[in-house]
Amino acid sequence: MNKHFLKTLLLTATLIFTSLGVSFAEPKKGGTLIAAVGNSPRHLNPAVQSGIVTGFPGAQLFATPIRYDNNWEPQPYLAESWEISDGGKTVRLNLVKDAVFHDGVPIKSSDVKFSLETIKKNHPFKTMFAPVVSVETPDEHTAILKLSSPHPALMLAMSSQLMAIIPEHVYGDGQDPKTHPQNSENVVGSGPFKLVEFKSGEHIILERFDDFFIDGRPYLDKMVLKIIKDPATRTIGLENGEIDFYAFENVARNIVRLKKNDNLTVTPDGYAAIGPIDWLAFNTKDGKTADVNVRRAIAYAIDRNFILKAIMLGVADEARTGIHPGSPFYEPNVEPYNLDIDKANKILDDAGYKKGSDGMRFGLTVDFGWPGLKPNAEYTKAALKKIGIDVTVRASADFPTWAKTVSNHNFDLTWDTVFNWGDPVIGVHRTYQTSNIKKGVIWSNTQQYSNPKVDAIMEKAGVENDMDKRKALYSDLQKMLANDLPVYWTNTLPYHTIYSKKVGNPPMGIWATSSPMDMTYIKD
Amino acid sequence: MLENEEIDEPTIKPVKEIFQTFFKSYSAVTGLFILIGIAVMGFIGPLFYPTDPFDMVWMPFSPPGADGFLLGTDYLGRDILSQIINGARVSIAIGFLAALVSCFIGVGIGSFAGFYGGWVEETLMRITEFFQVLPTLLFAMVIVALFGSSVLSITLAIGAVSWASVARITRSEFLRIKELDFVLASRSSGSNNMALIFRVILPNAAAPIIVQSALLVGAAITFEAGLAFLGLSDPNVISWGQVIGSNRVYILDATYTVTFPGIAIFITVLAISLVGDGLNDALNPKLRSR
Amino acid sequence: MLLVLLVVVVLNFLMLHLAPGDIADTIAQTMGGADEQDMAELRKQYGLDQPFFIQLFNYVVRVALLDFGHSHFYNLPVFDLIMERFPATLLLVFSAQILSLFVGILLGVYAAQNPNGLSSLFVNMFSLFGYAAPVFWTGILLLIAFSLHIPIFPVSGMRDITIESSNFFVHFFDVLRHLFLPMITLASIFFAYYSRLCRASMLEVLGADFVRTAKAKGLSKKDVLLKHALKNSLSPVITFAGLSFSAVVSGAILVETVYSWPGLGTLAFNSIISRDTPVLLGILIFSTLMVTVGNLLTDLTLKALDPRIKI
Repeated sequence: MNKHFLKTLLLTATLIFTSLGVSFAEPKKGGTLIAAVGNSPRHLNPAVQSGIVTGFPGAQLFATPIRYDNNWEPQPYLAESWEISDGGKTVRLNLVKDAVFHDGVPIKSSDVKFSLETIKKNHPFKTMFAPVVSVETPDEHTAILKLSSPHPALMLAMSSQLMAIIPEHVYGDGQDPKTHPQNSENVVGSGPFKLVEFKSGEHIILERFDDFFIDGRPYLDKMVLKIIKDPATRTIGLENGEIDFYAFENVARNIVRLKKNDNLTVTPDGYAAIGPIDWLAFNTKDGKTADVNVRRAIAYAIDRNFILKAIMLGVADEARTGIHPGSPFYEPNVEPYNLDIDKANKILDDAGYKKGSDGMRFGLTVDFGWPGLKPNAEYTKAALKKIGIDVTVRASADFPTWAKTVSNHNFDLTWDTVFNWGDPVIGVHRTYQTSNIKKGVIWSNTQQYSNPKVDAIMEKAGVENDMDKRKALYSDLQKMLANDLPVYWTNTLPYHTIYSKKVGNPPMGIWATSSPMDMTYIKD
Repeated sequence: MLENEEIDEPTIKPVKEIFQTFFKSYSAVTGLFILIGIAVMGFIGPLFYPTDPFDMVWMPFSPPGADGFLLGTDYLGRDILSQIINGARVSIAIGFLAALVSCFIGVGIGSFAGFYGGWVEETLMRITEFFQVLPTLLFAMVIVALFGSSVLSITLAIGAVSWASVARITRSEFLRIKELDFVLASRSSGSNNMALIFRVILPNAAAPIIVQSALLVGAAITFEAGLAFLGLSDPNVISWGQVIGSNRVYILDATYTVTFPGIAIFITVLAISLVGDGLNDALNPKLRSR
Repeated sequence: MLLVLLVVVVLNFLMLHLAPGDIADTIAQTMGGADEQDMAELRKQYGLDQPFFIQLFNYVVRVALLDFGHSHFYNLPVFDLIMERFPATLLLVFSAQILSLFVGILLGVYAAQNPNGLSSLFVNMFSLFGYAAPVFWTGILLLIAFSLHIPIFPVSGMRDITIESSNFFVHFFDVLRHLFLPMITLASIFFAYYSRLCRASMLEVLGADFVRTAKAKGLSKKDVLLKHALKNSLSPVITFAGLSFSAVVSGAILVETVYSWPGLGTLAFNSIISRDTPVLLGILIFSTLMVTVGNLLTDLTLKALDPRIKI
């Protein structure tokens, strides 16, 4: 990973789009890309709706101030350059001069101010812009962000789908932006593609925006996003050529299968900032799992290698901590809890959990957050039987049932997949902060884990502008967490992008399809 | 499997005659033998094939026949043959229990409606109509969402939405039988209503109800598989539907993981409907004479 | 009728209300996380913070005024959502019903000519295939066979959006190509019902006096079979078809899921797992009305077949 990450906060980038990393033959213009998506988005406005489902169409419809290359380096996008001063507390964005919205109205700095304020108020990731106190607009093409404290996460928060620039004259008409009718129909965006039709449950059709602010882009005339829920159906579609492109495939079996197809390219690249991690979370406050010895014994009894090889069929990566291995902050040198049944049994014996006459010590329940983790839960039952823990797998009928159970802390163990969302401040801190123990809120600190030292270190790392110092802080954090083990991290969710050989330049940065596909093209 | 509401003669027949008719039909006997075979497999099979269906015994996705696993292994390396054998017990139990629940509700509602008539009938048949009009799968899903996806709540949900046909048949039987001489006779001899309903009329109405209920057993087995396909199943219990539901995402490469339990369901439901036909012929005097 | 509707609404409203979790959890899921205040605000916005009876009362009053409300998930009017999906489901359900009636009656007539022969047994077994196999299973196997191994049918959806022709027939055949597998799959469940009902009632009618008279009058076998026997034996078949509409809709949910058919079934399924109560209730009300219309059509058809029937 590039060491200069975020040092660029002090640099001024210039408008060199060729630095976006990929060298390519002159792309062909025109053509339609048929992509599949696994779910229907709620609506298409990423300013008030996060998540990868809205992210795909959202990043095509709306531009952001900056974008990222595949080395975690920020690149100009709607902001052609930026300057950071005052120890990171002032960020000046110089906008592209001739940019217009899809309705032809110029994009002004006031729209940037409006967008940021809308996002700050409505987006669920409150940490993204929490330190931003005000946005000044000295002229139409300059926006100055004033911060209360240095905020290294800001650059990532201004990219991808996280800071969609939405038109004030449309979404600032007094209606609640969250339920604005133009979130689904007649969307007025700022990105490379404009909306033709959104039929929930069927498709989203996007069309080239001719007045896009980067000349000659996008290359594609049209993008069709077909909503296909069933993984088998999607796979058949890719194999028989009905679908050109699918991102976020996570069924290991299908990935292995599609890799064998000569007409398709299958790659795990592009998901580093999304950062999805599978883990087994413990209830650290109630029941047997409140004892760290029990948690450690369970971790030793669960074979991460079995999960990687047998369940994930070798397509997922090991994740030893709560930070994605693709992130510059990942610290692999922590206690890995490799399989050791004897050690697990000894820990439990020493802690006073004696085996009963039936060979069992006590019982626990295990839940799972979505159907893809069912094998993990079933494996947990089999694995923990070996150390005398009788596990009952609890299947939730649907997501709200599981969310209610876990967010109200009525669980012992639960499998889950949680996203990093770029900077640790956005997607990592929330799992371990004492202040984020919020009953009823899913993906808060539902483990009810509390360690003042951990809280302090996160607070420090969140405002540390020096990359090396910040890395050191996160390294400490990961070691402390691995020791306390509120969560046993096992692997990355094996997101893969699959595309036909006729697709050129698929999005391979750090944000996968939550980044603009203005350079994607269809070969002859 | 068909609702037959067109019987207009009194019905109780000598048991011997029923058996004779039933066993004259090759298809009914075949069906019965298959069913007995499956039941034996489910209840005694595990003694001869002791592999635990939950144990991870081998590599995942080992194809059928390879490495000594006749039907292969699933995504966790569990033996599919063992899952089929042990699943038989659960699937049949779900089928029978759900049918029993349906039968219980249906007979209750149908008999009271048919016997009392008037506003009782009106109200009860409205309720029945409501269950006939609603897409049952949706309704069962709502129930499972409410009570959780344990095997018991799934079974009860299936039973709770499938009784309308039983109620309608029971009612029409009651409407017909309650006017017959022997009922009028016992009514005038002072039998109370409950005795009339359950001791006098119901036994005479039993034939079509039994046939319909038998068919509900098969329907419940496919219903459970359908719910499992939509993701509503109990991972702590191995049923055929649950095996299909869990392996659904692997269907392209490991088609056998879904094919085998599907075939098991298919054969069982087929056998049940053959037996149902046989029962229908045996219990229904009109068809017999044909 | 209205009473039935009211029961449908109240019962499902209650059950979905009591089921764990709510729309705010679902939205948190699509967001990849949520904030306490946001969730509270959402609940307030959708009136979920109010007592159950007030929520129910508000809903019933709105429906009485023919307003189905807004989907909590999509923020779109429920009526628009339903109307967007309705044509697809209507097409699937009706084509499957007609196909299964047609094939069922054909098989039934064929079997009735020789009730105890081999052909009858064959028809019986053939029609039972569809009945005994779980419908989604049939669907997946057909999909694997005819979209993957012999790719002659498209794998998903209802139409090919890339076709840029203004010719009606091009689009017509495109939809037909997409419809083929889902229609066959859904119809297969009902072959058995119709063929056996038809066989049984044909046999009954063939034994009746007026058919004997017709035979005695020297009408050809074909005439007797088609003009007299079939016409008179259709009533039970059509009555049953009317009654089974809700079963067809249940089957359609599974078939739509397998083939990504953009219909109401998948919308209903999603509304349950996402606790989008207004959408589920809208669909239930709508499908109740549909079934009622279906029953009315059945009655009218019966009357057309036999003018003696009073409606």
